[in-house]
Amino acid sequence: MDRVPPRVLSAAVGLIVLALWELLARTVYAGSYRLSPPTAVVVDFFEFRDLYLRNLWHSTKTAAWGFLWGNLAAIALAGVASIIPVLRRSIGAIALTIFCLPFIAVAPILRLITGPGNGTPIALSALAVVFTTYVAALLGFDLAPGSALDVVRSYGRGRFAAFRRVRLRASVPAMIAGLQIAAPAAFLGAVVGEFTGARSGLGILTVRALGSLNTDRIWVIALLSTIVATGGYMAIGALGRYLCPWSPALDLGAVPTPRQEPGLVNRLVALLAPILVVFVFWYAFLWVFQIKPFFAKTPFDVWAELFTNADAAETRSSVFGALGTTLWTTSLGYVAGLVGAMVTAVVFILVPWLERSLMPLAVALRSIPIIVTTPVIILFVGRGLLTTTAIVAVMSFFPTLVNCYAAMRRTPEGILDVLKSYDARSVANVRNAYLPSAVPALLASARIAVPTSLLGATVAEWLATGDGIGAVMVIAFTRNDYNVLWVSVAVLTLVAVVGYWLVAAVELRALERMAPGVSR
Amino acid sequence: MARRGAPVDVVGVGRTFALGGGEVEALRGFDMHVPAGGFNALIGPSGCGKSTALRLVAGLDVPDEGTIDMDGASPDQMRRGRRIGVAFQDPSLLPWRTVSTNIRLALELVGRRHDTAAVSDLIELVGLQGFEKARPAQLSGGMRQRVAIARSLVTEPDLLLLDEPFGALDALTRQQLNDELQRIWTARGTTTILVTHSIPEAVYVADEVLVMSPRPGRVVAHHAIDFERPRTRELLLTDEFHAKVEAVSGSLHRSEGQVVRLEADDS
Repeated sequence: MDRVPPRVLSAAVGLIVLALWELLARTVYAGSYRLSPPTAVVVDFFEFRDLYLRNLWHSTKTAAWGFLWGNLAAIALAGVASIIPVLRRSIGAIALTIFCLPFIAVAPILRLITGPGNGTPIALSALAVVFTTYVAALLGFDLAPGSALDVVRSYGRGRFAAFRRVRLRASVPAMIAGLQIAAPAAFLGAVVGEFTGARSGLGILTVRALGSLNTDRIWVIALLSTIVATGGYMAIGALGRYLCPWSPALDLGAVPTPRQEPGLVNRLVALLAPILVVFVFWYAFLWVFQIKPFFAKTPFDVWAELFTNADAAETRSSVFGALGTTLWTTSLGYVAGLVGAMVTAVVFILVPWLERSLMPLAVALRSIPIIVTTPVIILFVGRGLLTTTAIVAVMSFFPTLVNCYAAMRRTPEGILDVLKSYDARSVANVRNAYLPSAVPALLASARIAVPTSLLGATVAEWLATGDGIGAVMVIAFTRNDYNVLWVSVAVLTLVAVVGYWLVAAVELRALERMAPGVSR
Repeated sequence: MARRGAPVDVVGVGRTFALGGGEVEALRGFDMHVPAGGFNALIGPSGCGKSTALRLVAGLDVPDEGTIDMDGASPDQMRRGRRIGVAFQDPSLLPWRTVSTNIRLALELVGRRHDTAAVSDLIELVGLQGFEKARPAQLSGGMRQRVAIARSLVTEPDLLLLDEPFGALDALTRQQLNDELQRIWTARGTTTILVTHSIPEAVYVADEVLVMSPRPGRVVAHHAIDFERPRTRELLLTDEFHAKVEAVSGSLHRSEGQVVRLEADDS
């Protein structure tokens, strides 16, 4: 097994998977509307080729515009944060809040501004890339060599000159790594935007196919989305290798959380300033776009709706009850995904030929936005509570697996040699070297997975399950109940931000204990 | 003196690595004998296969030809019997463990987890009292290396293998650790092989210095070092010491010159 070239092995595994898939679809799942055989998928694609290509082109165009605007905004934000460090925390808070928005429920609100056209999918697509590109660009700016910065300073030039001449150049590898992640994310944003209504595009095509239980169509769309998203990811990766061949591929999956400043006052400022900034942005958003009061809800309106209005108790019980369901199903999937990823990474470490045959698949699946394949999972698992759990588990599984396995492989050779010199068993190696080495990557992945899991859960609930806060939002949307819609968006975003910071706090503690000097 | 370690006999060992498309012959006809309780230093030009030789003796790698025998046991048997202690240039400590739990790791691996007395003895021996609870990141390079040495010794191995353990340290710390290494070796009497770049270091601590040829490495000169023990820093200033260093240095230069001549012959 060890002598088979990886490409051959992957190809063989791919063929076996395809054959099994065909077999299952033709036998066990025949007539179940769950699984389309690969052959039927291909036939359906060619039969309705014009329809598919037209909508694919539409979604890709949308994603490209979103990619452009979102990344420009993110890089500009990172630039400001780099040149004016005081603003860093506040800008970071805005980027994180955007990342934590339940996109599917934001779409109806955005549509008030953009009208019924293509604006909302483009806007969502842009929002979907802001955070990751912001983090990548800022990391790139920070990685600029201190000595080069000192040279600029020694000529009496200021921060802006240092940014323009040194930091911007130094950031290219990190930027490329960020843009690589942004490509599939932009596609995800576009498709999610289309889920809530569009004239054309793969998203709306999916919603119609789900309505008419057109299994083949849903599978074709999922595969097309996968191919395009992965293609974008790989194209930018190739561009990166062409532009900066000297730089190793940067892994943004494990960018650590910045360290907290010590002192109570600093901490209070660190906590309150971002909240204030987000509120300011909230008001600015309503003011700039002059949204009518019927649709526009301020933070105070949301507060009133939840706590002081006549029907506040009713709103609370419906929103928080549904939120409880969502959190329960989501956390089940979240934990299952993380644990499963860790276990799989350990198995891959212990059984190298398994890793060589399956890892390329996992890497490819990590780059695709699992959310665009939500309809497929809905078909396969059904429309129960388990659907949400399954989608969240799949979403958190692949990035965590890839990051944790990479971290385990980075376990220093010397440590492994020491263990080997005592003839340590596999269990001892895993416990003493591999698992601890992967903890920082696990926690970084777990942190990023909080918002993405909630996003996946709400999309699943919105499209299919009819449970949880996603369902509350879709009902509010159809009834034009903008109060409940805003309340849900605000509560969900808050939950995601808090969850993100809780994991970040655990991460900081663990890093200080396990790998001092890694956190910045 | 405590019990003696195992003698090491290496005969005609060769090892070739596949590298990229080609092959690199690291060792050819490598012979070495270390008596029980002896202290040998292995010295040679960069990339001559010193570390490869040490890894073979440690049972971390397997020779393509030749034999390695230690008191009737193969390196692999020694390794499986947990009778070897190793320390490398990189201390390779577990960053998430403290000084004492890093040392205890070796005991855990040999199934003597509760032998806390051994850990505290070693901490004292390497002079790290008061730092038991510190983590590697809080220690200086020299202190980390002491932890690595303590870890390699805590199981009371029959064979101690040191691969440039002080290579990354400053000269002062290095001399200090050489003194301690000598003291520890005198106290424990473990058979020891030290790979080093530094001729004075080799001459200062070892019973015998073996000089290796450039790749493919083999031993080309033996220098018996019979200064009385315990050796002190005054020794460093004596003419006898300098004469030994000069002699080893001469063999090393001749061995490096060999490549040049060989390459000239080839063309």
